[in-house]
Amino acid sequence: MSPKKKEPKTEPKPQNTADVKIGSIKFPISEAFRFSLESIRKRFTRALITAFSVLLGIAFMVAIMTMGIILPLIDQTPPPQYQTWMAIIALLVCGVGIVNSMLMSVTERYKEIGTIKCLGATDTNVLQIFLIEALLLGVLGGVIGACAGWGATTVIYMINQPQYVDRILNTTNFVTYFTYIGEGIGIASLLSVAAAAYPAVYAARLNPAEALRYEV
Amino acid sequence: MGEAVSAVKVVDVHKIYHLKGEEVHALQGINLEIPHGEYLSVMGPSGSGKTTLFNMIGGIDRPTKGDIFIDGVDLSKIPSRAMAWLRCQKIGYIFQTFNLIPVLTARENVALPMTFLGVPKAERQQRAAELLTIVGLGDRLDHRPTELSGGQQQRVAIARALANNPAIILADEPTGNLDLNTGFAIVQLLYRLKAERGTTIICATHDLKMIDISDRVVFLRDGTVENIEKRRGLVLSAEEFEE
Ligand SMILES: Nc1ncnc2c1ncn2[C@@H]1O[C@H](COP(=O)(O)OP(=O)(O)OP(=O)(O)O)[C@@H](O)[C@H]1O
Ligand SMILES: [Mg+2]
Repeated sequence: MSPKKKEPKTEPKPQNTADVKIGSIKFPISEAFRFSLESIRKRFTRALITAFSVLLGIAFMVAIMTMGIILPLIDQTPPPQYQTWMAIIALLVCGVGIVNSMLMSVTERYKEIGTIKCLGATDTNVLQIFLIEALLLGVLGGVIGACAGWGATTVIYMINQPQYVDRILNTTNFVTYFTYIGEGIGIASLLSVAAAAYPAVYAARLNPAEALRYEV
Repeated sequence: MGEAVSAVKVVDVHKIYHLKGEEVHALQGINLEIPHGEYLSVMGPSGSGKTTLFNMIGGIDRPTKGDIFIDGVDLSKIPSRAMAWLRCQKIGYIFQTFNLIPVLTARENVALPMTFLGVPKAERQQRAAELLTIVGLGDRLDHRPTELSGGQQQRVAIARALANNPAIILADEPTGNLDLNTGFAIVQLLYRLKAERGTTIICATHDLKMIDISDRVVFLRDGTVENIEKRRGLVLSAEEFEE
């Protein structure tokens, strides 16, 4: 049997084998950023859940820290040891929540990591994409969570103890409030990125074939 | 001038998988030389190592022993960035399991490999639409993989493999989920790529239409090359083999 008659008769062009050149991937960090944004948009609900667990952790932590300031102002100073313990527990709860949700959000996408590696993503590209995504979610959850934690605490005390509103909202306290909010955002971003980095580095280094086979 | 460098050269490739302390010898010393512009079919019963061999050639897995050369370049000796480029630009891999990204639409899936070569977005989108039209999915651009049939997903995977005009196409049972007519269109498409562009086609298949247009057929069995035949006079023996 002969090949299909209708096929064009052009000879296969032998490719130039004299100078085999290896090109390079062009995927600048700006493109990685766009990729991450798009990725978040594409699984918006999932991203919201991840950001929300960051938010809750940070809100809890900032709320505890804010209470530490407000309680003395309304003459209810708790023992200092108790306060330290509360801060440590707050940080732990917040940390475990963030780390857990970030770990999950990366590991459930090993197959996708395998796929984009098959299509040309370098190890660095994979890392960039996932770390930027974690940073964005961390910052988002951190900003909202820190503000909400501070806001809720102050509002509750202002409602319950209206006679102290002036003291609570005294401008000198705001430096501390802002510091706490800033710390909350910082911790949220840092923990998110660190927690995502661990599985992302692992997955980026896998053979694409292994990453494709990976079952969570 | 030395002799022409082959598009793909497989030298004594072994692959051993470790499964719960047990060794699975998926490939046991494969040797193969595939010149530029050849249409090579790979046949073999299920589990004979076709996909494993393709993964080695496509640079997405490493042999336990032996070497793969693409255009004379030893894959075990190049940095991972160069490897990524080979996977992106040089090789178009049509996966047996498709490996489409579920949250992306057909068009976005096809555009993905172009992203890593810095092709601007508008151009990516347009080319992806063209490729999907070629495989007969011009009216399914914005469907996600879960909203497509198996055969349609397979064609998205085919379009994606063509995105960067690869010099080598690895097609792992590309017509496995297609009906006769659609399958025939894909066979013609692959043949045209070979004839017009000199693309090297390596295709795992049981489909006699594909065997029929190939230059050579490699028969794998239990991870070894059982036989290599030129196309002429092959149809009979292929049928024999199927038994
Ligand atoms: N990840 C793995 N771990 C262990 N064994 C594997 C793995 N992948 C493949 N194998 C084994 O290697 C052998 C070859 O598998 P391969 O997928 O290459 O076959 P195939 O020729 O592509 O089959 P099919 O026609 O069914 O796709 C099989 O015996 C299989 O069980
Ligand atoms: Mg297979």
